[in-house]
Amino acid sequence: MNKLRFILVSGIAVTLSVFTLSAQSQSDMRLNELLIHNETNFEDDFGFHNGWFELFNTSYGTVNIGGCFLTNDPNNLKKYIIPKGDVLTQIPPRQHILFWADNNPYHGTFHINFTLEESDTIYFVASDGRTVIDKIAVPKNLGVDQSYGRIEDGIGSIDGSGEGWGIMPWTSPSTNNAGVDEESKSQIMAREDPGGWILTMTAMLVVFSALIILCFIFKFTGHVATSKQQKKSTAATADTEAAGTIVKETSAETYAAIALALHLFHEETEAHDHESLTITMSHTDRSYSPWSSKIYTLRQTPTLKKNQR
Amino acid sequence: MIGENLRQFWQYTGFANFEWTYLLMICIGLVFIYLAIKKEWEPMLLVPIGFGIIIGNIPLFPGLSVGIYEEGSVLNILYYGVIKGFYPPLIFLGIGAMTDFSALISNPKLLLIGAAAQLGIFGAYTVALALGFSPAEAGAIGIIGGADGPTAIFLSSRLAPDLMGAIAVSAYSYMALVPVIQPPIMKLLTTKKERLIRMKPPRPVSPTEKKLFPIIGFLVTAFIVPSGIPLLGMLFFGNLLKESGVTRRLAETARGPLIDIVTILIGLTVGCSTQADKFLQLKSVYIFILGAFSFMVATFGGVMFVKIFNLFLKPGNKINPLIGNAGVSAVPDSARVSQLVGLQYDKTNHLLMHAMGPNVAGVIGSAVAAGILLGFLG
Repeated sequence: MNKLRFILVSGIAVTLSVFTLSAQSQSDMRLNELLIHNETNFEDDFGFHNGWFELFNTSYGTVNIGGCFLTNDPNNLKKYIIPKGDVLTQIPPRQHILFWADNNPYHGTFHINFTLEESDTIYFVASDGRTVIDKIAVPKNLGVDQSYGRIEDGIGSIDGSGEGWGIMPWTSPSTNNAGVDEESKSQIMAREDPGGWILTMTAMLVVFSALIILCFIFKFTGHVATSKQQKKSTAATADTEAAGTIVKETSAETYAAIALALHLFHEETEAHDHESLTITMSHTDRSYSPWSSKIYTLRQTPTLKKNQR
Repeated sequence: MIGENLRQFWQYTGFANFEWTYLLMICIGLVFIYLAIKKEWEPMLLVPIGFGIIIGNIPLFPGLSVGIYEEGSVLNILYYGVIKGFYPPLIFLGIGAMTDFSALISNPKLLLIGAAAQLGIFGAYTVALALGFSPAEAGAIGIIGGADGPTAIFLSSRLAPDLMGAIAVSAYSYMALVPVIQPPIMKLLTTKKERLIRMKPPRPVSPTEKKLFPIIGFLVTAFIVPSGIPLLGMLFFGNLLKESGVTRRLAETARGPLIDIVTILIGLTVGCSTQADKFLQLKSVYIFILGAFSFMVATFGGVMFVKIFNLFLKPGNKINPLIGNAGVSAVPDSARVSQLVGLQYDKTNHLLMHAMGPNVAGVIGSAVAAGILLGFLG
């Protein structure tokens, strides 16, 4: 039984930990935007214009992509390993990272060993070297300085079909595809509900709804508990009545026999209700304790109040 | 050389950097400490906050890495729990572990009073908007009406970090002033006959019901307002620790040493954050006025709701409107106010037990309201 319980608990713990690990991990990364023919677009640290593509972290936790792979060859999923140990491979929540497809990996972590011109599909592969997390077919009709990306960051297909992708109205390397000038929630509220009455009504409605639901649930559980309690007390009354009948039928000799049996039982097992009150005092070698010492003044020196003098 | 050193040292002292605004703030800190020690108004909060105000307003030479707003200083690190909002949920854990929800479970309709009293939050929100605050700032100010310090800090750290010091000090000050603010409003809104209403004694609550309460309560509220999970989750988790009967040690830690430590840290750092140059602004004055207003509206909402609710209740089931004020949270002070005001009119009518129902419902209600504000404005 204990073994079964151990296996069950371990199983649950392992399952939970696996889900927790994969909840905010490399699987949250998405290929997000790419540009093949770069003539006047974004240039790299060395001043070159090369094709680029962007990865986007869809999660709300930091993801380390060190050890993952990028490739354009389905038969060689480990074509380019993203170096481990580079702090820049830790992608913050909802942020982008740009890779240069310049076939020049010696220029740094973010310069890979193939180009987009020679690629039909690009793949982002997990650090196990087998699991394809995301892939996208590279469109051949893309113009100069034109980019192809997800209409909304991270939203759309991961099977290469291009669902949710399109030619972008403007390029947005390392930033949001849908534009960065979105209003905050507070600004939207200021525009749509300047007096605050809509929010007030909505919020009070929600607070009341939540507590009304709770009220009904606990009314129901209260009814169940009360009826259960009543059943119990009815049964207890019946038991007391039955016990009363037994008491009436029990003779004095029987009581005496029970009392004697209990007395003998307690004597044999040395069970007793109260401890012996004998206090034993033994001599110790240590005759001095600072707690009662006057020189350490651990006790307050008695003083006389004015009216006692 | 020595003269030059002394001159340089003088520049580092508080005297050289002194401005009258710092002295004003130090005086406010001293008043807090006086009220806490002499009047015993929320001493657990006002002593750390008061002393924190004094610490935070010692004039400093900038760049010594000692001020609360200086990156990496000890106070700045302790303040992190306020900025990132992880102190308030820990306090809620302790509150959950020390709260007995029996009064609420035995009479669930009292939950609605806790909902009605949240009117204070949204009343202050609309007035703050009219005064020119942004919706996010108005939401953070409005939450003062929830009469819940940790919730106020949690929400203001998300919606209006710049106003957090003033909001926190205002929330805690008015919580301490509950016995002063509420009774006149309660008396004004009720008739003598209503004040004498005797409520049915609460039925005994079974241990199973007590165990079910935190689980069901959390599931319902969290599914409706997921943005309130940090507060609601910790509140109900703490209560489950208390009621489960098998985690006594954890419950004792949560309601004892843990909540004490976090209260010390939150009180001290919130006090420190009221540095004169950041705190003494016209906005802070508005926040204090709006805070008082929100407490009054919340009390009004709770009492008036009971009066209206009574119209639909049978004679034997009527609720004494003097417990309406307890819906504003501020556990257990507002419930104590209900008891004291009730005793003024009938020496044998003890309302404390009944008032604890809306009181703890107010805690749930204000956490739900904070979640809503965070969802709409965060």
